[in-house]
Amino acid sequence: MDLKARAEELLGRPIAKLRRFTDTSEFMSLEPGDILELGNGLYLLKGVEYEGRFGLDDEPKHWVKRGVDMATGEPKIIKLVFHEEFDLPIGAIKVRCYRSPAKESRILELVKDRPQFMHGLAVVDSAGNQVRILERIQGHPLNQELDPLKMTHQAYFETMLKGLLVKLVEAFQAIAFLHAHQERHGDIRRDHLFVETGSGQFRWIDFDYNFEFRESPYGLDLFGLGNVLCYVVGRGIPDLHDLKRNRPEVLERLDTGDLSLVIPNRVFNLRKVYPHLPERLNLVLMHFAAASEVFYESVEEILADLLPALDDLPG
Amino acid sequence: MILWNRILVGLDDRPRSLNAVRYLAGVLGGSNTCKVCLLAVYVPPSADMHPDPERLEAHDSDRRVALEMCLADAHRLLVEARLPAENVSTELLEILPGKNVGSTIMEYQRNNGYGTVVVGRRNQSKAEEFLFGSVSNTVVHQADDCCVWVVS
Repeated sequence: MDLKARAEELLGRPIAKLRRFTDTSEFMSLEPGDILELGNGLYLLKGVEYEGRFGLDDEPKHWVKRGVDMATGEPKIIKLVFHEEFDLPIGAIKVRCYRSPAKESRILELVKDRPQFMHGLAVVDSAGNQVRILERIQGHPLNQELDPLKMTHQAYFETMLKGLLVKLVEAFQAIAFLHAHQERHGDIRRDHLFVETGSGQFRWIDFDYNFEFRESPYGLDLFGLGNVLCYVVGRGIPDLHDLKRNRPEVLERLDTGDLSLVIPNRVFNLRKVYPHLPERLNLVLMHFAAASEVFYESVEEILADLLPALDDLPG
Repeated sequence: MILWNRILVGLDDRPRSLNAVRYLAGVLGGSNTCKVCLLAVYVPPSADMHPDPERLEAHDSDRRVALEMCLADAHRLLVEARLPAENVSTELLEILPGKNVGSTIMEYQRNNGYGTVVVGRRNQSKAEEFLFGSVSNTVVHQADDCCVWVVS
């Protein structure tokens, strides 16, 4: 089968004129049906990925292409080089952030044998761009697994929480592995932790954000882990607006110290919302709350408190 | 051996860090028994952030020059406060691998027998301290054989 026929087969429609690229610099002009020659492979483009960040669901990410390995037919995500710097708002704080293809390439190499991360190949195109060819994970982001659950929090606590936290501990240990190698994830969020279909393995995705923090290089990762932990424990992080509308009696029990240190409309003292949660587990969350005078400075410190707290959970 | 009158001052390129030096000048003015080392820890810019080598080099150079200027200003402030010039030294030290600025300052303190460490303190919120860390917190937490002055 010739290349055009193979491309049409994979694309599912005719291609008027086959275009092949070895230089991916002009990623805006690359279209479905185009073929990228990268490393030793040929990759057919099928479309673009869309922004998953909350509130930006329809934004196309033109530098992230949906593709397929023309030899194997395996779906791929092809991340092209897009250098940008921007201020990432975190509560009232703005953090100067930039995309680093080099960082993501390094991490892909570092974690290639670790199932707790997305996997892929970093290759350099003919113009020197560091392109990442990622395996598509069969599964969903953590929030898409937990948000649709209809059970009460009590039932969730009794039947699911411990199993999820055991997996989350493994995911936290994976971040500790990055830090031990002087790398940071850079964008730890509930939708950047995938739950693989079948195995149930938690896998981190998207490592290209970076920052320049001199004194606490992993502070933002630790903040992200706190958010993910609170999300899993609470099966969502309650916010003041929701509580006012749905559970005003809980709102009366809260004070400002119960809220997230960084995003002060999120409730981190979950024991005041869900009294069945054990004290030791809640104390881990309280390290991320406004009342805390002591912050975690490493993933190991979080795990030192979190692991024994799992013993208090049913299941 | 740790000597209390050997004083290490941690500086960065923010104008506020000179406040610690002004305080020190006020306290030590005229003293000829103290030896002061003004230490700026240089953090090289990340090649991740500046993939263009020319831009990286320019940023690198800017950072070094800013720190050198800060050290020169601090030296002048202390000499103007009548500390003998020969008792005031400056040091521009590259951050140690795997360490942060505070840890680098404290390693220098331990290796060189400084009995007093002086650092400024930024007006960070608690949330910013959590996210970004704090040099003065690191210094205070790691001080076990010296006195620390935190000047805000």
